[in-house]
Amino acid sequence: MTLSSVDREPADADPTIAVSVRNVGMRYGDFDAVKDASFDLPKGKFLTILGPSGSGKTTLLRLIAGFGEPTTGEIFINGEPVNAVPAHRRAIGMVFQRLALFPHMTAAQNIAFPLKMRRRDARTIADQVERYLDLVKLGGYGGRRIDALSGGQQQRVAIARALVFEPDLLLLDEPLAALDVKLREEMQLEFRRIQKELGVTTINVTHDQREALVVSDEVIVMNDGVIQQKAQPILAYRKPENAFVANFIGVTNFVHGIVTGVDGGVVAFRSGGKDLRGIAGGSAPQLAEGAQCSAAIRAEQIRIVTGGETPDRFEIVVEGVIADTIFEGERIVYEITVPQLAEASLRVFDHDPAAHTQFQPGARIQLGWNSKDMHVF
Amino acid sequence: MTGSRSKSIIIWTFVIASIVILSAPTIVVLGASFTAGNIITFPPEGLSLKWYGTIFGAAGLRQAFLRSLYVATICTAISIPVGTLAAIALTKYKIRFANSIQIYLLLPFTIPLISQGIGMMLFFGEMGLAGQLWPVGVACSVINIPFMIWAVTASASNLNPDLELAAANCGAPPLQTFLYVTLPAVMPGVITGSLLMFILALNEFLVSMLLVDARNVTLPVQIYNNIRSIITPDLAAVSVVFIVSAGIVIALLDRLVGLDIFLKSK
Repeated sequence: MTLSSVDREPADADPTIAVSVRNVGMRYGDFDAVKDASFDLPKGKFLTILGPSGSGKTTLLRLIAGFGEPTTGEIFINGEPVNAVPAHRRAIGMVFQRLALFPHMTAAQNIAFPLKMRRRDARTIADQVERYLDLVKLGGYGGRRIDALSGGQQQRVAIARALVFEPDLLLLDEPLAALDVKLREEMQLEFRRIQKELGVTTINVTHDQREALVVSDEVIVMNDGVIQQKAQPILAYRKPENAFVANFIGVTNFVHGIVTGVDGGVVAFRSGGKDLRGIAGGSAPQLAEGAQCSAAIRAEQIRIVTGGETPDRFEIVVEGVIADTIFEGERIVYEITVPQLAEASLRVFDHDPAAHTQFQPGARIQLGWNSKDMHVF
Repeated sequence: MTGSRSKSIIIWTFVIASIVILSAPTIVVLGASFTAGNIITFPPEGLSLKWYGTIFGAAGLRQAFLRSLYVATICTAISIPVGTLAAIALTKYKIRFANSIQIYLLLPFTIPLISQGIGMMLFFGEMGLAGQLWPVGVACSVINIPFMIWAVTASASNLNPDLELAAANCGAPPLQTFLYVTLPAVMPGVITGSLLMFILALNEFLVSMLLVDARNVTLPVQIYNNIRSIITPDLAAVSVVFIVSAGIVIALLDRLVGLDIFLKSK
């Protein structure tokens, strides 16, 4: 037994794991698109890989699909190493970013293609195509040419084509990115419905944090080719692993300062002459006295202290000046400059602007928050 | 108001002049072919179809026409696989010597046809094939293949590379991917290119002249031989048949794939 064959054994051949990615790296020339990525995805789960463009999320997805072999590491599907298995033998359904429907075929012919390649008999193919046209609510549209379908209908054909042969795994490569907001939100829920109905393990790639939070069982946040965090959506939101994740998901404010003391999980720091406290962020915080730190706090955790409220409700109260007022419909976003915190700029929501006067730029107000909502990195 | 009016007058003058100049030879030949007299004149003396009757009765011309069709068929049959595969390879892969190949694609405009023809003549002569007809088809294919490659490249460069990945993802091995996905996607280019190759081979004069002997000539060579002895209106009629067949091909092209694809080819 050679060393490499030891490495190729999955760490734990767990039958409930659908996809296992082990130390996978992908290098193009001297650029690392994916660096040392590892994760396990249990069967039947919906995983979203979230990241900005160029973060390596699509590269990782394409490696799982079999479009290219990783430079390092190994990918396992249902416990089997698949690095040497070409894409057409992997039994993975995929919905492409630009859909990649075959333009010279009808909707039904597109959906039938994977079955035809698997040499199913004509009867089975016809039945199965009917079933999946119904599943994606396109019954009766089978004979349409692809260019005679709307954007949303084309999405549905692509989904049906990816699922019709009952694959072990469904991959979604940002197929919703090109749709308008209303249709996108509708299709997100549609993906979720179909995924639940069929119970197929799904990996979705997106740069849309809302989509990631809405549809997923698990979220992986990627940046610069590195997995930053893998967690349930609510945990990725509430307990970000590092400043990148905190910033990428949600509307996050950062206050920069110098650490003045660390006591267990609580960090004391000083920003622009004001002493603040927060909880040490991430699973392995590396904060020492005298080090630079960034403290993250969500926009919705900062409150504007209005006349009726006593500032005692908040551990921290600072004075601020409204720099900008942005009306977003269901809420107003204030950009507030805080001289006490080295001129930090904070964004704060007001969800009930009807209840009191809207603040105008230049107005002086008080802001309050609690230290437990501040994560220090 | 007057400015735009005089501008449109000038533009229309140019357009009409261009159309007249471009179509004059065709109109003259067309008119001359319907003459009732015995010499080529324009305008024709009286109207008749007698010269069309003559050419359909003339065994020499008919056989020359069949030989031209044979040459054009061979040329097209060779060009379709060679040109299609070459064009797909050129668009899809980073190929070594890609620059040299690009320069080769400019050959039809840079190397005089006569030099290429002499080269072919020597080559086929050495192989003991001089005087036979099928090498003319091969030679036409070799000389004109850049046109085929251009036509297919135009389609292939519009090909979404994800289509082939999608086919693989659907379980199609490489050969099936090519047959079911790549080939249909570049089909407009293949059709355009093959019709073009067919016309070019049908009209090919110089190369046929150099490669075939006197008993085995193609139609353009036959016409040329006839002109050298006596110019009769039957040659005008033959020319019209030629023009009409080219017109049919163009119409076919437009019907099958749309001329816009052809005009966009680079």
